[in-house]
Amino acid sequence: MIRNDNKQTTVVECEQLTKVYRKLLAGRSKDVCALQSISLSVAEGQIVGLIGPNGAGKSTLLNLMAGLIFPTEGRVSVCGHPARSIKARSGLGYMPEHPAFLGRYSAWATLRYHGALLGLSRHAISTQIDKLTEQLQMDEYIDRPCSDFSQGMKQRLALAIALMNDPRFLLLDEPSNGLDPIGIIQLRDLLKKLRDKGTSIVISSHRLGELEKLTNDYIFLYRGQVVSFGDKIAAGHLGRLRVELVSNGNQIAKKLLPPAKLISSTETELVIAVGDDDEVPDIVSSLAKGDARITSVLLQREDIEDVFLRLYNERN
Amino acid sequence: MRAYELMKETFFRKMYIYIVHLSWFAVYGLFFVLLEPEEEDFYQILLFWGGFILPLALSAGIFGDDISSGRVCILATKPFWLGELYIYRILGLSVQAAVHFILAGCLLLIIHLFTGIGNIEDLGSWLFSCWLLFNAWAALSTSLSVVVKRAYNFIFLLAAVLFFFFLNGILGWMSPDDTMTKVIDAFVKYVCPPFEMLTKMAKGEYAKYSLIVGKYSAIKAIACVTHTFVLTVFYGILGVLVLSRRQFTCSQE
Repeated sequence: MIRNDNKQTTVVECEQLTKVYRKLLAGRSKDVCALQSISLSVAEGQIVGLIGPNGAGKSTLLNLMAGLIFPTEGRVSVCGHPARSIKARSGLGYMPEHPAFLGRYSAWATLRYHGALLGLSRHAISTQIDKLTEQLQMDEYIDRPCSDFSQGMKQRLALAIALMNDPRFLLLDEPSNGLDPIGIIQLRDLLKKLRDKGTSIVISSHRLGELEKLTNDYIFLYRGQVVSFGDKIAAGHLGRLRVELVSNGNQIAKKLLPPAKLISSTETELVIAVGDDDEVPDIVSSLAKGDARITSVLLQREDIEDVFLRLYNERN
Repeated sequence: MRAYELMKETFFRKMYIYIVHLSWFAVYGLFFVLLEPEEEDFYQILLFWGGFILPLALSAGIFGDDISSGRVCILATKPFWLGELYIYRILGLSVQAAVHFILAGCLLLIIHLFTGIGNIEDLGSWLFSCWLLFNAWAALSTSLSVVVKRAYNFIFLLAAVLFFFFLNGILGWMSPDDTMTKVIDAFVKYVCPPFEMLTKMAKGEYAKYSLIVGKYSAIKAIACVTHTFVLTVFYGILGVLVLSRRQFTCSQE
């Protein structure tokens, strides 16, 4: 649930958020509306997947939440404070898609530098560095200069920087970019632990399979607008029931199934849209009573990739 | 801790910063030896090279590099006033320059002691003027770096200085009594970093004024230092204001 209607503490709240980029092209002003009247809230301990095609406005939304850009209209509050304020930033951890560091600094020096920017004491910085080095398995390259780092190492270091202040709200832009399979699993486990401790996390990612393992809460953005929230995505289609028959598939479908439910039919196979688990026994029993000689039944649940494609295709 | 890290970063951020310091020392030494009979020429070169070109070299891309690499996005989400980022970086540059000019003074002193070349009587006042001019140019260059990407602040300022230098020269030659010429001349003298004023102060040309200490006028020296300081703060405030209101995007270029 992205719209946080229950009693949980709201960590992030966006109200009627609109962002228009004004660009001067060949002397003429050309406005690009990146986000249009978006309202949403994220609760404590919630992981939200931000999905959508390229140019949908995901990065703009993340940048607004991080306070890096100003909204044209509307407002964003983080931990109860306006997004760019110092109080909001004290509870925020941010990991950009392409993290960059001072090439001559080692990972350790980089973490110390960011710890100092956070205002941590020397002792607190050392403690945090030791903890994060262990959690993110950075021991091997903690003393190497960042200029030698692979993409995966940079991602881990950027995540460590984002976690230096034990944030209440974590913004991650494509966090699994360049990570090896072990790294992806470790990242997933770490994010789950953080969620369990009450950290709210918004992840923008094109790796839908990975997101699905972390959350059921999504925001689908398309051309600057929220097309669907997690609950609506789930309510759309649960999945497809694939029923194999000996014969007479078309005739049985016509006789027993409402057209809205029937996705496709042949003489030996029916594909039926299912909205709820409870529908499955009823459908199968009505087919059996209607003299359908069923050889197999397979329920294919719609995963987030299917949802993404469905929502995308509906709009194209 | 924050102040220390941000000041230290100005020295460690690029490999070429070591090279700049070392090569500048070589230039000072070379010109000191080559221009021995005319010490004043040497000191003007010192002021130009150390007070103008050095700050441009050290502050090149000081914010622009962060903006074009996307590093600024991590910095700008940290919980502190963004003006601190500017203030401590400019202080870092100023401390670097102070150490640089002390070392340069030592170097020239050693050359003088071992070879007897040059006149080091006014060295202290020239080096002090260099440091003041450095701070003013560094503040201007750093402020410009907040709005331009990469190290273009160096090129922009160099181009602007050349433009005003030639414009002022041409106007002064063609119509010296014209109001526009006087306005541009006053702008270059009093709004731009005060190269001419500091040159006169270091030379002791203000000695005719009150409260004379040696060959220098204390009142005029205080006025020059205050003027340069006010300009430095003014350039700095512009940078801080822009930095606090600037939007940042995280795309790498």
